[in-house]
Amino acid sequence: MKQPILWIHGEALGPANPALQAHPGRPAVFVFDEALIREQAISLKRLGFLYECLLELPVSIRKGDVAEQVLAFARQHQADGVITSAAVDPRFALIRSAIEHELAITVLEPEPFVALNTPANLQRFSRYWRQAEPLVWGGY
Amino acid sequence: MASPPADLPRQFASRAELEAQLRELFPEAPGGLSPIRGGRQAAEQLRQAANPARYGRSRNFLDGAVTRLSPYIRHGVLSLAEVREAVFQKLRAGGGREAGEKLINELGWRDFWQRVWRQLGDGIWHNQEPLKTGHSPASYANELPADLAEARTGLACMDAFSQELVTTGWLHNHARMWMAAYVVHWRRVQWQAGARWFLQHLLDGDPASNNLSWQWVASSFSHKPYIFNRSNLERYAGSSLCARCDAAAKGTCPFDASYEALQERLFAPAAP
Repeated sequence: MKQPILWIHGEALGPANPALQAHPGRPAVFVFDEALIREQAISLKRLGFLYECLLELPVSIRKGDVAEQVLAFARQHQADGVITSAAVDPRFALIRSAIEHELAITVLEPEPFVALNTPANLQRFSRYWRQAEPLVWGGY
Repeated sequence: MASPPADLPRQFASRAELEAQLRELFPEAPGGLSPIRGGRQAAEQLRQAANPARYGRSRNFLDGAVTRLSPYIRHGVLSLAEVREAVFQKLRAGGGREAGEKLINELGWRDFWQRVWRQLGDGIWHNQEPLKTGHSPASYANELPADLAEARTGLACMDAFSQELVTTGWLHNHARMWMAAYVVHWRRVQWQAGARWFLQHLLDGDPASNNLSWQWVASSFSHKPYIFNRSNLERYAGSSLCARCDAAAKGTCPFDASYEALQERLFAPAAP
């Protein structure tokens, strides 16, 4: 990608966002997901909190259908692709594939809290922590 | 240069102006702004103020030295890795590893919930295991009781927590646990109804941390249901709530009992 735009989502509204780190200065967009906000009756204080986070980031703010808005933003900037950061919310995967339908998308991984060297045992926290704790403290 | 027509404004003279603009943009979203500000600057201040040793000693108390970083971590304003590094730096400057065990452990919980979410996807909305309450899932109501959402249960503690949730979008973790236990076990309401309510309001509302913690209270993601009693609440919340509570004055506080008595009152004997 020579002329990508950045899609910033609600799991990465800070300078550690790997898309912002890898492509400083590229046009970036955040889209308030209107369908989600309506379906879940999200309160104004949550939207306000997000908005204030966005005001401290170099990002255009929009609302509507996320994939449509990201694609419209990309067209506006004659972009040849979209770069974003990985998100855990399963809704991200749906939006990502809707974007991918029209435009190439690259998903960058943020720095993990801990990189495990064996598959995580997630049945109970205690089991996971037995694996993770020594590795986390390894960096101390 | 004028911004393209689809862009939302970025210049506001005041928070009041931002609030008015948001009301116009999202007319269906209930309420107003939280006193808690979003943004990296606010997050940095909290990060600087965080005290791992005091956190470790006092985190379970409502007035304890909790970091209040959760809304910023949830939205990646500060990444979990950044917070981990900030904690390590503080520990190197004084206190050492021991002083930070608890705080790092709590960051681990956040990482754990995210990993479970990645594995389960929307499955986090379903019981991970059968309930251990002795009651059938069908005996739990689908909807959150209106008196709780409107902070008029007549229980000073629950009404105070409900009001704080709705006005500020933040609650101490212990208050969240008490409220969840009250909703699920005392009111016999499905945890999903409470989880949806929390997600509407919590600035740190994260479906994974939220839903799986509700499931932990409900006992569909733990070995036994979580309950509390009045003396536990007074120990960690202080006595001011009970002092102004009508139910406490009348002797009808539903939490004023031993754990054994509450177990018997709230749960059915296990099936043979």
